[in-house]
Amino acid sequence: MIQTSAIFRFPKSLMDRPVICRVIRDFDVEVNIIQAHITPEEDGHMFAIVRGRKAAMDGAFGFLRDNDVQVILPAKNLVWDEEVCVHCGACTAQCPSGAFVLDPATAKVIFDAKKCIACELCIPACSYRAIESIGSRLGGKGDLP
Amino acid sequence: MSKTYDEINEKIRKKQAVVVTAAEMKTIVADRGAKAAAKKVDVVTTATFGPMCSSGALLNTGHTTPRMKIQKAWLNRVPAYGGIAAVDLYVGATELAEGDPANKVFPGEFSYGGGHVIEDLVRGRDVVLKAEAYGTDCYPRQALETLVNLKDLNDAVLWNPRNAYQNYNVGVNATSPRPIYTYMGVLRPRMANANYSSAGELSPLLNDPRYRTIGIGTRIFLGGGVGYVCFHGTQHDPSVARNERGVPLGGAGTLAVIGDLKGMSARFLRGVSITGYGVSLAVGIGVPIPILDEEMALCTSIRDSDITAPVVDYSRNYPHNEGEPLGRVTYADLRSGFIKIGGRKVRTGSLSSLAKAKEIAGLLKKWIEEGSFLLGEPVEPLPGPSSGKTFRMLKERPIRRRR
Repeated sequence: MIQTSAIFRFPKSLMDRPVICRVIRDFDVEVNIIQAHITPEEDGHMFAIVRGRKAAMDGAFGFLRDNDVQVILPAKNLVWDEEVCVHCGACTAQCPSGAFVLDPATAKVIFDAKKCIACELCIPACSYRAIESIGSRLGGKGDLP
Repeated sequence: MSKTYDEINEKIRKKQAVVVTAAEMKTIVADRGAKAAAKKVDVVTTATFGPMCSSGALLNTGHTTPRMKIQKAWLNRVPAYGGIAAVDLYVGATELAEGDPANKVFPGEFSYGGGHVIEDLVRGRDVVLKAEAYGTDCYPRQALETLVNLKDLNDAVLWNPRNAYQNYNVGVNATSPRPIYTYMGVLRPRMANANYSSAGELSPLLNDPRYRTIGIGTRIFLGGGVGYVCFHGTQHDPSVARNERGVPLGGAGTLAVIGDLKGMSARFLRGVSITGYGVSLAVGIGVPIPILDEEMALCTSIRDSDITAPVVDYSRNYPHNEGEPLGRVTYADLRSGFIKIGGRKVRTGSLSSLAKAKEIAGLLKKWIEEGSFLLGEPVEPLPGPSSGKTFRMLKERPIRRRR
């Protein structure tokens, strides 16, 4: 079993077709939807964590691409701006997976992107707005990580 | 053997002073003892960085043509208080931008306020000043709308009535089934996390627990520039119970500080948006402590394991002034990432930045070593434990109106 974060961009021509449902049924992959914005007459996007056997995942992503869905596999589930961060560590008390920790040697925050489960509990806890969700990046400004 | 302020300042001028950070002092006293440390070390630099409510900036815009006695004013839509004189404005850290939805959609984001105006000013950004007045014979102008920039303002002073709390509560949510949004951050149900806010063993007033050297006139590092302790802070309460080393078991002492905003930096002065609570200003403060004698060497040798903080429930006890602390933990426990409350292991998070505190203590050490920062001898001490000063709650009294 492998697991990856994925961003899907749907063209508006696909709005009446349940492509994610097909992916789950036909390819036997788990799709944990973290955020989705799909409305009639508009391009849609979804941020999800996808889990399954390697062959099933390849098949699922291939199917989506064949159906004009843009598949982006982001390197990170969050955008953490180290320049904006003051390294207080308020995020570390919220993070259930240990992705945000304070380095005892430097007293600075470290973000281990591989451990992040995209729960986003850290976002409202950061008073300096140094953490941004993939969802907010999908909605507009800034590059995807 | 003891030293005077004048002797230490003479050494600083000659660049011969031995200056160490509070972190370094712990090791020196542990290795050589307080007596030898007092002989060797002249100054210990302490520091803290975190959100500090009761902060704000006093701006004198300079006079307009024709002249105007500003009655109401806004900086980037954040109301500033103008009821002081004609063109003196005080912008408070916790003031919200006009039209901010606050907690109407809960929890509110509080994306911009007084703290952010101050940060924008020190970043050198233009800020929109809008003002209204009723007009007088000597101040006829009634409306003003202009860009202002820190470098052009006649005066800009950071003037914070209460900063650098000596010690503070650890916040938890013991009773609410939902996350609560407090000035101690997001506190999750069933005590899923505990938030604290102190630089602990690096913090200024914890290294001078009875206010022997920090007093009115002490020269300090303030927001990246130079400032002064100008009074005891509001809510200064030296009567709080103390341990055998004189360290208070909770809140206690505070500082009122002042300094020229024009010399400050956004690296150490940051607007904060506290979800569901409001806006404020994070302030970096560094205080030099003269090692006058062995007693001050002992004071500055304090460790995180010697300092305790009360664990307070912010879902019921704090807002309603009820109950007792759920326990007491040391800053060494808090920094380990977990504390035990009633046998339960609770994850901890800090609101104050230890990394920034270390950076400030290091910078202040450098300034003093270079001979550019002399110690200010207090002209008056802060009220101490035996002063009789304490904290008073507001006693409400009914208003009887005469017919």
